[in-house]
Amino acid sequence: MEPQIGPPSADRGTPPQISSPERRDRNSRRPLSRLKPYAPFFALVALSLLIGAMNARFFEFNNLIRIANSAAIPLVLALGMTFVIVLGSIDLSVEGVLAIGAVLISLLVRNNSNTNDFGWFGVVLAILACGAIGCANGAIHVGLRIPSFMVTLGMWFIGVGVATLLLGGSTVRVVDKGIRSLALERFLDFPIAVWIALGTLGITWIIERQTRIGRYIYAIGGGEDLAALSGIPVRRVKIIVFTIAGTLFGLGGLLSAAQLGLGNALIGSGRLFSTVTAVVVGGTALTGGEGGVINTLVGVMIMAVLGNGMVLLGISPDLQLGVQGVLIILAVALSLDRARLKIVK
Amino acid sequence: MLAVEHVSKAFAGVQALDDVNVEIGVNEVVGLVGENGAGKSTLMRILAGVYSPDHGSLKLDGAPVFLRSPRDANLNGIGIVFQEQSLLQNLTVGENIYLGQEAEFTRLGLINRRRLNAAARRQLDKVEVDIDPRTRTSELSFAARQMVELAKALALEERTERHLVILLDEPTSVLEQRDIDILFARVRALKQRASFVFVSHRLDEILSLSDRIYVMKDGRVVGRMQAGSTTVPQLHQMMVGRDRHAEYYRESRQHAPREEIVMEARGLSVAGAYREVDFVLHRGEVLGIAGVVGSGREELTRTLFGFVSQTEGTLVIDGHEVRLNVPSQAADRGIGYIPRERRTEGLVLSLPLAVNVTLSRLPTSRITGTISLSRELRLAKSWVDKLRIRTPSVEALCLNLSGGNQQKVVLAKWMNARAHILIFDHPTRGLDVGAKEEVYELIRDLSEEGVGIVLTADTLEETIGLCHSILVMRDGQVTARFDASPGRKPSQVDLIRHMV
Amino acid sequence: MATKSFRAGGGRVRAAIPIVLLVGLVILIGALQPSFLTADTLLVVMADTATLFILAAGITFVVMLGGIDLSIQAVASLSSVIVAVSLSRIGYWTFPETLLVGFVTGAFSGVVHVSLRIPSFIVTLATSGLVAAAALLLSQERSITIGESGRAYLSWITGRPFGMPSVIIIGALVAGAGIWLQSYTPFGRYSTAIGAGEAATWASGVKVNRQKVIAYSLSAGLASLAGILLTGRLSSGSPTLANELLLPAIAAVVVGGTSITGGAGGIGRTVIGALIISVVRVGMTFVGVDIFAQQIVFGTVLILAVAITIDRTKILIVK
Repeated sequence: MEPQIGPPSADRGTPPQISSPERRDRNSRRPLSRLKPYAPFFALVALSLLIGAMNARFFEFNNLIRIANSAAIPLVLALGMTFVIVLGSIDLSVEGVLAIGAVLISLLVRNNSNTNDFGWFGVVLAILACGAIGCANGAIHVGLRIPSFMVTLGMWFIGVGVATLLLGGSTVRVVDKGIRSLALERFLDFPIAVWIALGTLGITWIIERQTRIGRYIYAIGGGEDLAALSGIPVRRVKIIVFTIAGTLFGLGGLLSAAQLGLGNALIGSGRLFSTVTAVVVGGTALTGGEGGVINTLVGVMIMAVLGNGMVLLGISPDLQLGVQGVLIILAVALSLDRARLKIVK
Repeated sequence: MLAVEHVSKAFAGVQALDDVNVEIGVNEVVGLVGENGAGKSTLMRILAGVYSPDHGSLKLDGAPVFLRSPRDANLNGIGIVFQEQSLLQNLTVGENIYLGQEAEFTRLGLINRRRLNAAARRQLDKVEVDIDPRTRTSELSFAARQMVELAKALALEERTERHLVILLDEPTSVLEQRDIDILFARVRALKQRASFVFVSHRLDEILSLSDRIYVMKDGRVVGRMQAGSTTVPQLHQMMVGRDRHAEYYRESRQHAPREEIVMEARGLSVAGAYREVDFVLHRGEVLGIAGVVGSGREELTRTLFGFVSQTEGTLVIDGHEVRLNVPSQAADRGIGYIPRERRTEGLVLSLPLAVNVTLSRLPTSRITGTISLSRELRLAKSWVDKLRIRTPSVEALCLNLSGGNQQKVVLAKWMNARAHILIFDHPTRGLDVGAKEEVYELIRDLSEEGVGIVLTADTLEETIGLCHSILVMRDGQVTARFDASPGRKPSQVDLIRHMV
Repeated sequence: MATKSFRAGGGRVRAAIPIVLLVGLVILIGALQPSFLTADTLLVVMADTATLFILAAGITFVVMLGGIDLSIQAVASLSSVIVAVSLSRIGYWTFPETLLVGFVTGAFSGVVHVSLRIPSFIVTLATSGLVAAAALLLSQERSITIGESGRAYLSWITGRPFGMPSVIIIGALVAGAGIWLQSYTPFGRYSTAIGAGEAATWASGVKVNRQKVIAYSLSAGLASLAGILLTGRLSSGSPTLANELLLPAIAAVVVGGTSITGGAGGIGRTVIGALIISVVRVGMTFVGVDIFAQQIVFGTVLILAVAITIDRTKILIVK
């Protein structure tokens, strides 16, 4: 937001008219900076080509289905995280909320531990509960003015604890056919879960591009004080964003329960890390205001292709965590506008 | 039409505005001039609804109005083009123009981008710039963004019955001449639709654009006149008030500097801020840097303590060529910095006085490297006595000290670190008269002890009174040098002529 | 604590709250369950607290600066794996080796944090990924039990010199060293100042980045020590050994009264905080709260403690 202090009477050469309004001070590196938003996409293409070149099976249709299937749950979770990160905040409660969602669903639909059989009604109830947890995250964050990472760190463990308590530490099997069909049935060759993820992508895309909430998320991420001066209801927008995140984490819980056919408290283990990595690798800046759901799609695909490629090439899956760690640092380092940050905590 | 009546405003005991009366007529351009700190910005912020006045009122068409927020001001037809721009860089031009106003373009919860952009285009047409509303704001030049802000202000026309008043807060300070000409042409053309209040440091601009001019000094309006009936020198004179004499400056208390050179700049430049600055600082010398906001003097000051490093030129300290990349390098060279932002950069407010005094140089044991807490207390006590810091104890938190005493703690910190060059960046900002006088006295004492001092002061009077020599900057360049040793003090008008 | 001799009046009251809370809890549980107040039980509680405290002490260094370290549980787990893998091969050399790995990991986090200017919670989250991957690879995803030959090297952890479990002694040594570091060394003083006002500290010529790297190194180094102690007590190493300890450790720091925004608090308070967490845990077990559900309590306590101790004047925009 700093005004560019241009040399007031310098470069007397051919100062462009206002009517050619590109900023001059970036002239020298414009070609590169123009391409920067597309860097994650190019990385995805290059990565695919590379893996394809090393193992031709990568491009087989069945493998593409496999990749899409493995990307479905990460995509839903990462979409929820995206808006939070665009705000400049973070939500660390993914694993907890997802666990509650999955466990609630497993207990409410037909299962091997109680006599419930609420079917889709139970699913909706569980996802609403997850939305309420997200709402609580947001409300505590803005109400008590506590950094979001602290609130959601606490909520992460509360979520895991509640999920454990609900099950008494055991695992419950999902017997409901309808739920299982999300992972087992296919439509146009792809599992239903993939279509649900794509539907979520569409809805979040509309929220981002076509609604006031979407606009305000970017305004807050770009400059919270200026946004407030323009009359934007900053607190309400933040609470809504955390609510959306919680809801989508709950949806992720549904898909996880469907995929594994069970619910337990540790069903979300490792999801936080891969979710944040995917969002950031896609080009959404942690400082807020940049990126969006399309970036997240690209980020999730990079992670999915990478994971798939490592399996195809016979690399130990244990390395994946490490690769994610390196990727996250690289992506953040590349995306940060360091001139804007004086003090980094 | 819009009238400011008997408005006063104080910040932490400092009177920023004192019984100010200003009137803005229909289709009129009103110019507002004054030195740094004369109260122009405060007045603009009151008009914009950012601050509310302590006393007095605003009247629109004779009826009093209360502006609780910038939004309130907007609804009453007052739009602002701020110096630090208020556009969000990550949104498009169209999104910025209608930020917070999307409701008009929303149906069934969805924003109709096409209609929004078409409307934004209409606003941009008013200022006759050819910018696609879908352009990301960060892609625009500063001048173009300024036009967008103007267009955003003009968009108010469609939301209010009121006649528009648009506030232009130093819109030209970072523009090139060509862009200034374009901006002025637009403002003249737009006079039919709106009134303007125009603040600038460039008096020729004020004279050429305004219909009427108000001159402010020390929070008061000291002159109001038709633009046609005044001249630049007359405005200069009004901005500085009456000239001061030797006694006022206490010239007898000033000590001559020594021969030794402690700091020297040769062709010092920071790209985009200032160019080709040369100066020499002797032991015991007080070197003043004068200039308006945006002249490059703030950046120059900060270069000397390593907050920014020069892009060209050399800085010599005690005979060594140096490049200061971070403050710790400057501190290691024996330089100290008394910042303008005393509460964030000067002191760690939530820590005790003693901790702050020793922060730049801890009393550590030579053998174990550990801090001697008893020595620390003794040191702090001795500085409290020496500088007459008024505090209940050396363990009191700096939070609870008055501004003047806080400033003395900052000084004690650097004296304890045995700094032999001190950079004073607006050392009296926000202090009351008595505390200011004490700071002046300390600067004179330090000069006598042989400390080399670079001073960026709040007022010209301070600069002239305290300094041995003065560097005047404008638009990033040194425009004049004055010898200000006792008996040869330049007048304020001499300085201001080279500043604006 | 770093400014021990000059604590403000208000701060003194604040510092007393955790102690009062701890004493109150002990009395409460003692009233419900008199056997709790025997020397043996209290020693067991303290021994259980030692590892948690050492983890929390490490984070305290980082939190004092206003940062956070989310990698300690991974570092502790990796350390346990390293100990389990190399104990039979290199004997006592295992321990310095493991500690070195810990310090280097922390230094890595610190250097990345300050040089690339990436927020600490992201850097340490990434580091935890790298470290967890290393632990998984090294252990081949198994939990490794230490054989008879290895256990001999662990007696310094499991022993009870003078009837006192040696982990308590180690914990006390760490506490003493930590309090000394924070109160009497330039590093400790600068850390407090950075947390309380980074801009002013920087503008006072303090080498801020250096202090930060030291703090992150200490944090991971102590996490490594905690991992070693855990391995000794369990006689096995596993890549997920300490995963459940991150939250209680952060909670111990905050409950002790160290502000999450930095600049106030210290290791001395973390001792109290860690004891509170342990006593609460024991208490919950007495009352019959499910061991897993205790996470709920810790999560809630964490949010509440942060809400109480945070200095809101220091963050204008809360993200």
